[in-house]
Amino acid sequence: MPRIEFKGVSKTYPDGTRALTDLNLAVEDGELLCLLGPSGCGKSSTIRALAGLETVSEGVILADNNRIDHLPPRVRDCAMIFENYALYPHLTAFENIAMPLRARRLPLAEIKLRVTEIARLLRIEPLLGRRPSRLSGGEKQRVGIGRALVREPAMFLMDEPLGHLEAYLRVELRSEIRRLQERLGITTIYVTHDQEEAAAIADRISVMNAGRLQQVGSFLDLYERPINRFVAEFIGEPPMVFLPVERTNADSIGTKGIPIPLSKSLRAALSVTKDSELILGVRPNDISIVAPAPEHLNGEVTLVQPQGDHSIAAVRTPLGSATVIVPSEERPSVGAAVGLVFATEGLHLFDSTARSLNREERSG
Amino acid sequence: MTIAPIRKKELNSSMRHSAAAWPTGALRYLIAATFTGFCLFPFYIIVTTALKTETAIFAWPPAWKFQPTLQSFHNALFVFGGRSVVFYLINSIVISAVSTLLAVVLGAMAAYGFARFSFAGKRQLAFWILSTRFAPPVAFIVPFYLMVQKVGLLDSHVALIIIYTGMNLSLVFWILQGFFAEIPIEIEEAALVDGYSRLQIFWRVAVPLVRPGIVSTAILSAVFSWNEFLYATVLTQSRAATLPVYLAGFSNSMGIAWGEYMAVGTIAVLPILCFSFVLQRHLVRGLSFGAVK
Repeated sequence: MPRIEFKGVSKTYPDGTRALTDLNLAVEDGELLCLLGPSGCGKSSTIRALAGLETVSEGVILADNNRIDHLPPRVRDCAMIFENYALYPHLTAFENIAMPLRARRLPLAEIKLRVTEIARLLRIEPLLGRRPSRLSGGEKQRVGIGRALVREPAMFLMDEPLGHLEAYLRVELRSEIRRLQERLGITTIYVTHDQEEAAAIADRISVMNAGRLQQVGSFLDLYERPINRFVAEFIGEPPMVFLPVERTNADSIGTKGIPIPLSKSLRAALSVTKDSELILGVRPNDISIVAPAPEHLNGEVTLVQPQGDHSIAAVRTPLGSATVIVPSEERPSVGAAVGLVFATEGLHLFDSTARSLNREERSG
Repeated sequence: MTIAPIRKKELNSSMRHSAAAWPTGALRYLIAATFTGFCLFPFYIIVTTALKTETAIFAWPPAWKFQPTLQSFHNALFVFGGRSVVFYLINSIVISAVSTLLAVVLGAMAAYGFARFSFAGKRQLAFWILSTRFAPPVAFIVPFYLMVQKVGLLDSHVALIIIYTGMNLSLVFWILQGFFAEIPIEIEEAALVDGYSRLQIFWRVAVPLVRPGIVSTAILSAVFSWNEFLYATVLTQSRAATLPVYLAGFSNSMGIAWGEYMAVGTIAVLPILCFSFVLQRHLVRGLSFGAVK
């Protein structure tokens, strides 16, 4: 299995749309890498360029240090799974799965053997005689996965493969995809906009936005140490709360006369930047609700959503709205006046360019 | 709250519809039947005349009930001197079949290229292909005659095949372009990553998916080539003359032997009728349903 490397890859479509800007990314042999981001962030363009369905405008794509970005798709040996299945409508499920093998002119007996084996693996044996129009969405995508698996490709490219499926099927099929991928050890790039799916399936996640790679790491890396405000906001559900704050001293911050205590390392990081206007980021579960007091950020509860063991409350403060996760038995009622207290260790600070200062904390 | 009034409205309109359905439906069938009868009546006259004896043909009032006889068919096929109708039938079949095949194959490949690739001057080129049908065919008859004469192809199958192919090509091209453009691009992208070349994708994925379009254009092309009279009569004499030419000459040289004339007419219609009937069952809709969400 090859190691895939994007080096300075940019893509501009003929109509002038810039899909990718200076992408540098390596996918290790046998790993499952998720490309995560909102729609239009360039994640699909990335795997389409790798598959050879799009040309790149600048930069190179390497497989084990050999350039592949100029090769036609059929010699790149990528198998792809499409969001809308893209099955051959005039062929039965069997023939759909057999198509990549027929392209390689395998003997008939072997085609039969391999298709049946894959069908057993995906539990679609009884469906092999049917045309796509007589398959349900989940069955169609199983056939699509079978077609990708059957030829044991150099890499798998999955473009939101579960996007059109119902929630319970998504969970079932994604664990199946992960199981098969681990068993075959094939390098896989998996595109999704669903962070829960990415967290469940990926070895590493690359977060993209507006054609640029933001950060690569495990889900916990991204969650605990987001590199910038975009990653901090995109990863985590409900999303991080952002509040504007000012520097009150070389190493302390506050807002509206309320001091916000920082950890020692974050205080050190703060001294690196000279910005006086900063953004405080805090996860909803690092905020607790107390009785209002002058030394707290106070606000009014506008919404309470019970979720079972915890509840999500929205609190309107003079600085903006804050989402808070509270244990269900301590949930406030709508309209209550409350004070907010932030856990010192859970705070993130972003400078005026939206970069995280917490990174300075690590390097410094 | 908002759903209820909409449902009620729907119910009302559907009730109104069903109450009005009977006369509308019957009227519709009446109109269709009248039109069908109007179209088929000349055909009925041709076939029955071919089956009548000479006295029955000229009987007045027309003999609606008569004893059918195959005498006219027998005469047309075996008795008349010179080349028999079979010779011209074969000419027509060869010329129509070859020109239809060429027009559909070349037209489909061109249409696929235009539907899937962009290149400089694409729109102008497509429009030029359409423009070959702007002028009436008779406008080209003299230049065509001169060209065919210069290359020594007068009274040859090849000349008619080339001309018919050219005339059908723009029709095939424009119809199939729409069909190819409707194939979801992902299906072809899937074939690309599955390891197929563009040409393989054309034959193994695109063509099967536009089968209804191929069938329609094949029928239209074949009917055109089969019926074409003007070019055939000007560019052929005897060796490559087609059935329409033979039919036209028939009435002149023999006087008008109505029974035999109509028998040949019947024979002339049969092959193209069979061809259309055989292909018709491939005119199914929605071949690419279910491929993509």
